[in-house]
Amino acid sequence: MRLTFHSQERGSVLLWTVLVIAILSVFATEVLRAVSGRFQLGMQAAAWQEALIAAESGIDLGVVELRKSLYPAPNHAWDGWNNIPGNGVVSHGLVTIPNAGLGGTPMTIEVNVDAPAQLVDPSNGWQYYRLRTLGSMPLTGPPRIAFNKNDNKLRKLTLRVQRFIDTLFTSEGNTPHASRRLEAIVKPVSSFGLAVLAVSTLDLNNQNIVIDSFDSRDPAKSTNGLYDVAKRQENGDIATDGNLIQAGNAHVYGDVATNSGTVTGVSNISGVQRTDFYQAPIPIGEPVWPSINPSPATVNGSATLTASATEGSAMSRYRLSAISISGSQTLTIAGNPDGSPSYIELYVTGNISVAGTSQIILGDGVKAKIYFSGNVDIAGKGVLNPANQPEDLLLYGVQPTDTTPRHVSLGGNGQITAAVYAPDYDVTVNGGGSDGHVFGSVVGKTVAMTGVTNLHYDEALAASGIINNYEIVSWVEDTR
Amino acid sequence: MMQLPRHPSTGFLLYETMIAMAIFSAISLGLMMGFTSLERNLAATTSFATNHTDAMRISDYLALDLRRALSVQSTQNDTRVTIPDYYDANGDPRTPQLDGEGGVYYGSNGSSVQVRYYLFNGTIYRRQNLGTPVAIAENVSDFVFTVTDLGKVVTTKITFKPRFRSSGASQAVIDGTAVYNTTLLRNGSTGG
Repeated sequence: MRLTFHSQERGSVLLWTVLVIAILSVFATEVLRAVSGRFQLGMQAAAWQEALIAAESGIDLGVVELRKSLYPAPNHAWDGWNNIPGNGVVSHGLVTIPNAGLGGTPMTIEVNVDAPAQLVDPSNGWQYYRLRTLGSMPLTGPPRIAFNKNDNKLRKLTLRVQRFIDTLFTSEGNTPHASRRLEAIVKPVSSFGLAVLAVSTLDLNNQNIVIDSFDSRDPAKSTNGLYDVAKRQENGDIATDGNLIQAGNAHVYGDVATNSGTVTGVSNISGVQRTDFYQAPIPIGEPVWPSINPSPATVNGSATLTASATEGSAMSRYRLSAISISGSQTLTIAGNPDGSPSYIELYVTGNISVAGTSQIILGDGVKAKIYFSGNVDIAGKGVLNPANQPEDLLLYGVQPTDTTPRHVSLGGNGQITAAVYAPDYDVTVNGGGSDGHVFGSVVGKTVAMTGVTNLHYDEALAASGIINNYEIVSWVEDTR
Repeated sequence: MMQLPRHPSTGFLLYETMIAMAIFSAISLGLMMGFTSLERNLAATTSFATNHTDAMRISDYLALDLRRALSVQSTQNDTRVTIPDYYDANGDPRTPQLDGEGGVYYGSNGSSVQVRYYLFNGTIYRRQNLGTPVAIAENVSDFVFTVTDLGKVVTTKITFKPRFRSSGASQAVIDGTAVYNTTLLRNGSTGG
């Protein structure tokens, strides 16, 4: 026979058990609610941050295409995009990267690049570009808002219906996602943005060289457009893509940069010393001109070439197989008699040699660009640049089609005033006249200076020459 | 004298009742203390998590404006950031213009929008120009946020007082709550 009080005791235990479980469940529910909500917030915040990475990657994608467009054809710039950007023409690109986000979510990057007319620099005609990008990341988990309304105000997530419709972009939809929109403006960077750039070794030798800058456009930074030590500026930056600068006890009024390398023999640097430098120089392609001035086809002895008042005209363009002068011979590039600006472009497919006491003479007002595919050896009396403006004599080394080493040797007993861009050439600057002063900028595969005591970089060069890169000058997040 | 038979269900003796009450009290007290401790712990943890979430939000807000900053000025719990004047009166983005010095501007040359972050009456506000302040974190009187200008980057540090001890938090514990953020100034310049 079973006794009834046994059943009552069981009921009491059951009651206690249920009570304790109920209390623990309340705690567990509260903990779960708090934790899951915050976990959700964490995931949403992560997606929001990843969307920024996506949007910034879009800027990178646009800049990559712009840089590709600087290379000699065929450069395949804008392949896969719907347009080449222009004024009123938006180039649109869309990239999806699978498994890029937390939880294996795909990253969507949408880029629009255009070239508004307002962004043309009137001083040199250079076009700045506007890049507008959208980065978006899907939200994982249930589409619910955060505990705190302030989080919703900050991140502006799309949970059920697309929160903001921007007609510029097409990839957003109603699916839960975080998105960020950026606008960046990039400006062209000149090949002559530094006083000296070497792809490999930069050797200034042991001449206690002083490197500084002036700005021939600014009376506060020059006198009558010429270097004035009293108005010395501190933008004489030197850099190498390699890992060694042998500065030879140099005094650099500017920054010194290597690619994870070292600088030896620097007595003083007014700027900063960096080791994170790398700038891929854009190679120079053979000039492609629809028509040229056919005569002469070569220069071998004294000669006169005539510049034209019209920049880029056929009469101002010459294709020469070589320039070779020696003894007391001269190559005169004649400008307008009144000294007004005139232009000439030479493409020398062979070597350039100035020897003995020979000299290349630029006429008053002449602005010369000399492209060359062979070696350049300028000695003798060098090149007479009468206005002493580096912008007036730009030397470009065309990318060789073979592996034979090329060199540029720039010297002579006259003052050297020029800008050299020859990233595939070993460049040597010798002397610089009786006082060893050189005015301009030098870019070479290797750069060595011998007998040069002063290098004065003209900051005006940064707005001339070929475009070598694009840099961001404005960055705004559109937070609508 | 004849003894009456006892039935088990007729009741408890005094000492049995007292022992049962003592055991019940001890168990109840233990449970109550446990639950109270749990509750306090839950409250402190929730508070910590809430504060941490607030700190992250403040950090994200600051970083949002610092990335596009033209200049930054800061003292403890008071940071002023100027950003480009990107939107027109209708709230639409403006077309940029060249400034003639290698840069661009929105609106008129030299114009900008000032954004101020400050702590007032236990609330951290974000205020744009002279507009209505927007609360970005509430009940944060114990928060301290500092923005340090390091040139091309700025760092933000946000701390609060956790409530795990009734005696309060030591400075070391407060420092342990710090949320740091280092932001690259995309527009390059700092300083007022």
